[in-house]
Amino acid sequence: MSRSVWKGPFVDAYVLKKAESSKSGGRNDVIKIWSRRSTILPQFVGLTFGVYNGKKHVPVNVTEEMIGQKFGEYSPTRTYYGHAADKKAKRK
Amino acid sequence: MTVSDNRIIVGSLAGAFGVKGEVRLKSFCAKPEDIALYTPLTTDDGRIFRVVVIIGQAAGALVARIEGIDTKEEADAMRGVSLYAERARLPHLPDDEYYHADLIGLPVLDTGGRELGHVRAVLNHGAGDILEVLAPDASDTVLLPFTLAAVPTVDLSAGRIIADPPEGLF
Repeated sequence: MSRSVWKGPFVDAYVLKKAESSKSGGRNDVIKIWSRRSTILPQFVGLTFGVYNGKKHVPVNVTEEMIGQKFGEYSPTRTYYGHAADKKAKRK
Repeated sequence: MTVSDNRIIVGSLAGAFGVKGEVRLKSFCAKPEDIALYTPLTTDDGRIFRVVVIIGQAAGALVARIEGIDTKEEADAMRGVSLYAERARLPHLPDDEYYHADLIGLPVLDTGGRELGHVRAVLNHGAGDILEVLAPDASDTVLLPFTLAAVPTVDLSAGRIIADPPEGLF
């Protein structure tokens, strides 16, 4: 069963607090969070969170397409490296 | 044609497919079928395959016909062999786009010239590319977002990356 709409999206309170202070401070730091269950809200767009995966904080640069997803979806707990071959990375 | 050191691994052979000399080909490319564009492919022992034609797909691999492999026995004998392409065969990329193969191994310096480590891997979990940097004398790695703010300069000709990492990362 999905979450009731009247409750609104779930976000851990400390995530909101940290995001707000980072935004108001205008700092360009990675906001370290452990809450993988928190929903990504529109006010997080443009911020970079370090989402804990059980070992380290994975940088997650929040964009508009990510709104409504959970932070944990972008910080896998298992890493597969594979071969580089012709894979590309884009600097944004 | 000689085999140069400037090669990147693009796939491997996984044995025969059927009895007519077709092979199961594991491609490591972003688009698996692109492996055929990077011919000639070479092996560790210096064998060169000039023509690779993709003819289908099997479970977890492509099915291909490779010039020089004509029988099932030859294809089976090549099981596990890695295939390499010349780096120069990869197409040029626009600004701010880089091949993982070019970034891996590059030293990462901070804006003051202090060495932070070298790139061990390039990751992407759906929220932008990330450089995994292994610091000298450290066993654990640091994940650095591959953004213009955090990585202002990538100098492939000089072989270095200048980073301005967010506070508290290193």
